[in-house]
Amino acid sequence: MSTIRVRSPASYWLAVPAAVWMLGVVVVPIVLLVWVSLWSGRAFSPASPLTFDNYAKFFANPTYIKLIGSTVVHTATLMAVTGVLGYCIAYFLVVKVRSPRWRLVLFLAFIVPFWTSTLIRAIAWVPFLGVNGVINQTLMFVGVTQSPIEAFLYSRAGITMAQVSLYTMLAAGPVVYMLNSIPPQLREAAMTLKAAPFTVFRRIIFPLTLPGVVIGQVLVFLNVMSDFATVATIGGNKHALLSNLVMLFYESSQIRGASVVAVMLMLCMLVGVVVALRVVDIRRLGA
Amino acid sequence: MRALDYRTRSRITAWVLGALTLAFLAYQWLPIFTLGVLSFAGPTGGTTFPMNGTSFHWYQELWRATVMNDFKPPLLRSTLLALACSATTVVLSVMAAQAMRGQFRGHGWFFYLLLLGIMAPGILVGFGFAIMMRLLGVELSWDTTTFLTHVSWTLPFGFLTMLAIFNRFDKKLEEAALTLGASRIVAFRRVTFPLILPGVIGAGLFGFSLSYDEFPRSMFTTGPDMTLPLAVMAQLDRQLTPEIYAVGTATTFFSLFAVTMCTFAFWAMRRQVQGRNS
Repeated sequence: MSTIRVRSPASYWLAVPAAVWMLGVVVVPIVLLVWVSLWSGRAFSPASPLTFDNYAKFFANPTYIKLIGSTVVHTATLMAVTGVLGYCIAYFLVVKVRSPRWRLVLFLAFIVPFWTSTLIRAIAWVPFLGVNGVINQTLMFVGVTQSPIEAFLYSRAGITMAQVSLYTMLAAGPVVYMLNSIPPQLREAAMTLKAAPFTVFRRIIFPLTLPGVVIGQVLVFLNVMSDFATVATIGGNKHALLSNLVMLFYESSQIRGASVVAVMLMLCMLVGVVVALRVVDIRRLGA
Repeated sequence: MRALDYRTRSRITAWVLGALTLAFLAYQWLPIFTLGVLSFAGPTGGTTFPMNGTSFHWYQELWRATVMNDFKPPLLRSTLLALACSATTVVLSVMAAQAMRGQFRGHGWFFYLLLLGIMAPGILVGFGFAIMMRLLGVELSWDTTTFLTHVSWTLPFGFLTMLAIFNRFDKKLEEAALTLGASRIVAFRRVTFPLILPGVIGAGLFGFSLSYDEFPRSMFTTGPDMTLPLAVMAQLDRQLTPEIYAVGTATTFFSLFAVTMCTFAFWAMRRQVQGRNS
């Protein structure tokens, strides 16, 4: 017995507002993008006949094809870096820190920036990366270089540095959750049976946290693929990823072009998520 | 070479991982601190060191702002929008989580539909929604279209928070109230709701801070009256001055203040419950 009867009409009606909201604001607009990307002609009218011309135009330009490639490479780099870093941090926080108070303090220091603006945190990297930025000043002070290195601001390296600081939390969070749900008896049993510590990690701990790793990787993947704001802030207009191309077309009122790129972005993401779901069953997380 | 024993190796691992964690924390916090320090640069200070003295000049600039770079109206809009999103998120996510407990037909699909709100990137949702509004002939505005898209982003987070709370919640208390003759509505209001209150606060916090900081969804759906992140980005496109650092520091403090207040509320409530039990 509970305050809601199982399979009652009331439970159905309670779900309706949220479902309608999500359908109307998320599902329908995204489907709409696919439709608009197939419009022919130039006018903004739903009566436009459908063609694949916009896609043909997109694939005829080698710059755009290369852009898909560099977006995927950039995203893969970030997934690798944040994945390893995030796992190490999560493992340290959950397994190695003994004192509950220190664990709480370190954990808070780790997750609190998530509640502040990503945009502001990206902007905070600008004074660090410039020619006269903090990194160059430090390097010159220490004597590593004589003249400032221009490789940070407006560069792929600078974008990567900022995004690592923005998204490692996303990679580590689900791993922390999975590590916390491993009963300590499992490790003790394995140790009693004389397994080497690394074997315990490789055969028991890591496989049990794998769903967390994959969820974290999916979150980083989706966020980096669609993060046009950080790229625009730190990369200036010298660097672009696929999501910046959407903005570029949109700002010059090329709705069809923007939709085509948006659909390509969506396809890349779908492929990524489907691959991830083949590795782990996301539904097992709730159990 | 002699192999080290397990305990020493475990300690070395702990030190290496600990050093890595601390290094990352420094890496994560240093830019934020630098932003804060630079916002107090002198009137002739640039966007990086040296600061040319310390002053409140850039905060005063912020206050005296002209029409072009006035952040006060966007701040008001963002705050009102975030409050509205927070309230809507709380109501809808409690309803949705309560509905999930009722296991209605298709509740599996309902769960995935809400999860999609987290997975779907803001740039696609914002762009698609803007096109839909254009097709329907609806004028874009921060208090209508932006509100709709923001809730589609905050609601799933509130929903997952409420699900987590309901998973850990002691059903026997509810059953006791119902057995003693309380109606379902009274039992929900007097027993269930106080028990899930920490989750409700969490959902409200998610609703507020995610909406307050949201950029891509606002980008496409806001129309002429900008929200705060849009105003910051527009100013960044025009000119980078320490004034942007001042705005950034102020909003970061505001966000941290909100998180601290909620954490404190959690803690106070937990103490109250523990006090009652002992």
